[in-house]
Amino acid sequence: MALQTPPTRAPRELSTALYCYGVTSADAAASQPNAGLAGVSVEPVCFRKLAALTSAAPPGRVRARRADLLRHFDVLAAAFKRGTVVPLRFGIVFDDEASLVRDFLEPRHDELAGMLRKLRDRVELRVTAHYREQAILAEIVRESPRVARLREQTQGGGSPPLLMELGELVSAELQARTARDGRAILQRLGALAEAYDLSEEQIEHQLLRASFLVERTRLKAFDEAMEELAAAQAGRIDFSYVGPLPPHSFVSLEERR
Amino acid sequence: MAIATQGTASNYLQRAPSPSGLADVVELILDKGLVIDAYVRISVIGIELITIDARIVIASVDTYLRFAEAVNRLDLTQTEAAGLAELRGDNGGGGGGGDGKAKGMMEGAKDKASDAKKGLKERVKGD
Repeated sequence: MALQTPPTRAPRELSTALYCYGVTSADAAASQPNAGLAGVSVEPVCFRKLAALTSAAPPGRVRARRADLLRHFDVLAAAFKRGTVVPLRFGIVFDDEASLVRDFLEPRHDELAGMLRKLRDRVELRVTAHYREQAILAEIVRESPRVARLREQTQGGGSPPLLMELGELVSAELQARTARDGRAILQRLGALAEAYDLSEEQIEHQLLRASFLVERTRLKAFDEAMEELAAAQAGRIDFSYVGPLPPHSFVSLEERR
Repeated sequence: MAIATQGTASNYLQRAPSPSGLADVVELILDKGLVIDAYVRISVIGIELITIDARIVIASVDTYLRFAEAVNRLDLTQTEAAGLAELRGDNGGGGGGGDGKAKGMMEGAKDKASDAKKGLKERVKGD
């Protein structure tokens, strides 16, 4: 993330800076008393069809404090209950209301309005899946004769080369299973989604970490698919399933120069 | 074998309305969300890059030895029994994956979340 130097201003001067949480349509916008960063109120700043949800920026630098991270998230969640929301990343501050309109809402009006239209009645669902180590290792021993043989040879302490061979083999088996099972889950869930955002980072025993953009009307179908997956994989794969969330993972602006 | 689709059995998995840990929230609002390009005069200020502590997959001697050890420690009679219990649909089997299903799964997920959260907290403090 590129960090920029905050605009310099006299330290004790009363700040007019506005912290911005996200954009919603003007007719769905509402104040949120005391819900903003540092507990100040969130107010919409409207421009034509759009409303930016803002609050007075805290003095000094915005820090990624636990309470404020949660507030940013909660403000968007509350707005999402009222209508469609385009979530902004944490930490975006405008100099004042005029610059918010001039530099963001006005030049991006049509793009933002289009995004709100497209995201209407869509929700983000997040799914992660992890293997249970004991279960998946036992499965590998059962299904790979080479692993089983090496395991027997090294019971009670084998030579380092044998142990290395065993470990490398297990690791390769695990990676193959991770890829195969992850792909299968993604295929199953992806078929019910309009789009998905997949985390490519490889984390041990994690088969899948992804967000899905799903029409509200298909939420039930998605729940059922998740239940089926969890039931079929009980004891082998643990899932976590979160939503409906505002579409954090499905918003982006065209780059402009 | 991987993804069998059987009749729907409820109570295996509940959708949570919001993330259970700070780590998940952080991933959503620091990694995702609209970014406004640098051309616009906006200050994204005071944020250190925060990453979630998790064991990234690396092929290394340490990893191999750890797996070898874990495989050697396995009690196959227990995990096998658990596997069969799973198929029969009863909750009996001990060890391995045999602990009560839905409950076990929720706890597993929670453990992971709180681990990540712990790592994260330290970094947020360090900021």
